[in-house]
Amino acid sequence: MSVAFDLFDCARAAGTRTIAIVGTAKNVGKTVGVRALCESARARGIAYAITSIGRDGETSDALDALPKPQLTLPPGTIVATARDLVPRSPACEILELGERSALGAIAFVRVRATSRFEIGGPPTASGVRRTLEQLARIADGPIFLDGAIDRIAALAGGDDAVIVATGAQSGATIDRVAAVAGDLVRRLSIARDDGSRADAIHIDGALGPERASELIAEHRGARVVVTDPTRVTVRGKLFDQLNERLELRTTAPIRVVACTVSSYGREGALDPRALVRAVARATRLSTFDLFAGLVA
Amino acid sequence: MMVDAATHAAIGGAWLDAVLAPRSDFGRRAAARERAYVPGEEDLASERARTTVALAAAFDAATLERVREAIRWCPDPTAIAARAAAGDPLADADFFELGRFVDALELVRSQWPLGVPLAPPSALDAVAAALAPGRERRGFYLADRFDAELETVRRLAAERQAVLDSARSAFEASVAAMVGASVRDGEFILMRDGRAASLPPNVRVIREAATYIVCELVYDDRTLAALSARDDAHSNVARVEERARGTLSAAIGVHARAIVAVTERLGECERECARAAFALAWNACVPTYTSGAIGWENASFPPLAEALVQRGRRYAPLSFAWDGVAVLTGPNMGGKTAAMQTAGFIALCAAQGLPVPASSARVPLVARIAWIGADDRDDRAALLSAFGGEVVRVRGLLAGAESTLALVDEFARTTSPSEGRALLVALVQTLAARGMRALVATHFAGIARETKTTHLAIAGLLHALPIGATCDLDAALAALGEAMDYRVVAVGPDDEPHADAIALAELLGLDPSLIAAARAALRRKRSGAPSASNG
Repeated sequence: MSVAFDLFDCARAAGTRTIAIVGTAKNVGKTVGVRALCESARARGIAYAITSIGRDGETSDALDALPKPQLTLPPGTIVATARDLVPRSPACEILELGERSALGAIAFVRVRATSRFEIGGPPTASGVRRTLEQLARIADGPIFLDGAIDRIAALAGGDDAVIVATGAQSGATIDRVAAVAGDLVRRLSIARDDGSRADAIHIDGALGPERASELIAEHRGARVVVTDPTRVTVRGKLFDQLNERLELRTTAPIRVVACTVSSYGREGALDPRALVRAVARATRLSTFDLFAGLVA
Repeated sequence: MMVDAATHAAIGGAWLDAVLAPRSDFGRRAAARERAYVPGEEDLASERARTTVALAAAFDAATLERVREAIRWCPDPTAIAARAAAGDPLADADFFELGRFVDALELVRSQWPLGVPLAPPSALDAVAAALAPGRERRGFYLADRFDAELETVRRLAAERQAVLDSARSAFEASVAAMVGASVRDGEFILMRDGRAASLPPNVRVIREAATYIVCELVYDDRTLAALSARDDAHSNVARVEERARGTLSAAIGVHARAIVAVTERLGECERECARAAFALAWNACVPTYTSGAIGWENASFPPLAEALVQRGRRYAPLSFAWDGVAVLTGPNMGGKTAAMQTAGFIALCAAQGLPVPASSARVPLVARIAWIGADDRDDRAALLSAFGGEVVRVRGLLAGAESTLALVDEFARTTSPSEGRALLVALVQTLAARGMRALVATHFAGIARETKTTHLAIAGLLHALPIGATCDLDAALAALGEAMDYRVVAVGPDDEPHADAIALAELLGLDPSLIAAARAALRRKRSGAPSASNG
């Protein structure tokens, strides 16, 4: 448990109510990370709440049918999940109903007896934000958000600590996995605009490759302000150029606090010690392998 | 009642629909059950309007709004009640929604202005009582009180869960100590370089990588026995919980019809509140349904009144009456169209049993309201000229035999004046001969005299419009509003219509030299002098 505790403490040190985990790919141990947070909270006697972006935590992945861990939640936990996913037994206490989803309204439930849960939260970013607000009203303690690869927009506009989960599933080599994680972390970690430059260029929508290239070519040194980091869809070297040649800022920064790694994927395994070190180097964040019990 | 799309738009039907639009599914279903009253149902329509006026008189707009909002957010239990009635065991979320429905209903009942019972109280009280053990807090929980066995089986399951957790933890801890790795979810990873020569018993390798192996615990007999006992206990909990749900669902199912009846009444309540709010906002009255002369005092056309008020301008309510067919004349921008829209709107309200926006009104129930205007061509007539479109609509008007209120806005104004006038005379005579009720606005002179119909006229300009053109349209419209007497008055059949077109054109900023030339041309025509031009 010590590595899980370390991860929990690292995330809690950010002082935010919500701790979100997002993955760089599917099957990179995102739900393992959520479970580690849950177990750490439980072991310390801290009540918590949990939801997800869309559907996750099911016995097998809805997309690729790989086995996925369910979440076993103790009494007192507050869960926001689609009402069709609420286990019929043992019975939960239904507290509220909220956002709509394909599997019925999001039910806010209090676990009354230890239960295994499949969590399917709201499918939209705005729905997730409203659900988190509702959870914050209902529950005490930290709120864990099981994220989704392609829905990081849900992180925008919130005051969350974000953990990036990565692993062998997102690259065939350690360097590649580390590069992908570094890229995502840099994109999410755009600094807050302090408003000191009146000539800043404000981008209302997405900042994609075409607009980025134009800004790099025509406005070198300018401050470019995006609404939130999830609006930046530029990847790789172009993103690095954007960062180097412009002052990229955001009005709603996202706080990335740690990474987790999973060293084995469907296609092969990577050396866990080398991987955890490489990801820590690439992201400059504390990095945890919860399975192998490693920290870098 | 028949009201085609063009007529509906012209007489403010869309505005009225928006004002009365249901907010809840209950209201939408109630609206779908409604229909307009037809000739012969005057008493029913009058009774409905009286109910609405009584409601509006008894309560203020804020109360009516509160009731509408309470109904809007009331969960719809119809499907849940139907499933319960069919014998399906409901889910806990269903009980939660029923509980919220009961709460919301209480709120509506406490607010419902006339105190009309929404359902047999005993039925809903019984539903509330059945749910009560699960509603000690705000939500719903299938509490132990729902079944005599629940507490026992739950306690046993909790005990066995604790035994399992303890056995599993002890087993995992013992293996972890042996292999020097942390066990997570029954699995652990071992680095090859630090690996002991052999794995302990109850451990099997499930995956091998170059630098490590992933192992899985094979639980010992003690842990497996605890797991089996826990699963049995959980099965018992599931069985008893399902039995409790079945019992509770049956208790709800008995009252399913009452629940559905309540939802219908809720929809009607919402509709009544919307109607009363309309009546309150427009000081509406119960009309006298008549087969004779039509007329009203201080009648409003709310869409126009609302738009004018928003622009800070005054709205002049109208009072006028006529029997059968009347010809309406008056100056440009004097309110002929608004007068006809008022007539159509009042007829529309009356057909819905809705109080009408006037201090008093005599109005017939008609089977059809038809608006004929040059700008009301539908898609099929899009290839026709303005005049062609009008003719098509007049053809449709005359094809029907229903009792009709026809509102004819400057028919044939876009064709040659002599032929247009002749067509209008013929149309008015035909409408009168068929016993239709109609209001016919026109700039043609002598129509009322020639057709022997009532002649109504907009009173017109009280004084000369301010000299000096302005480019400020709002200022010009304000000046016109001050100068215009919008009253509709009965005049003699020989009275000439006043268009005041040149004065209006001047007010609206037309070139002064053009205005002067127009005045000169008019003087010459009136004096019989020849035209200055060759045209």
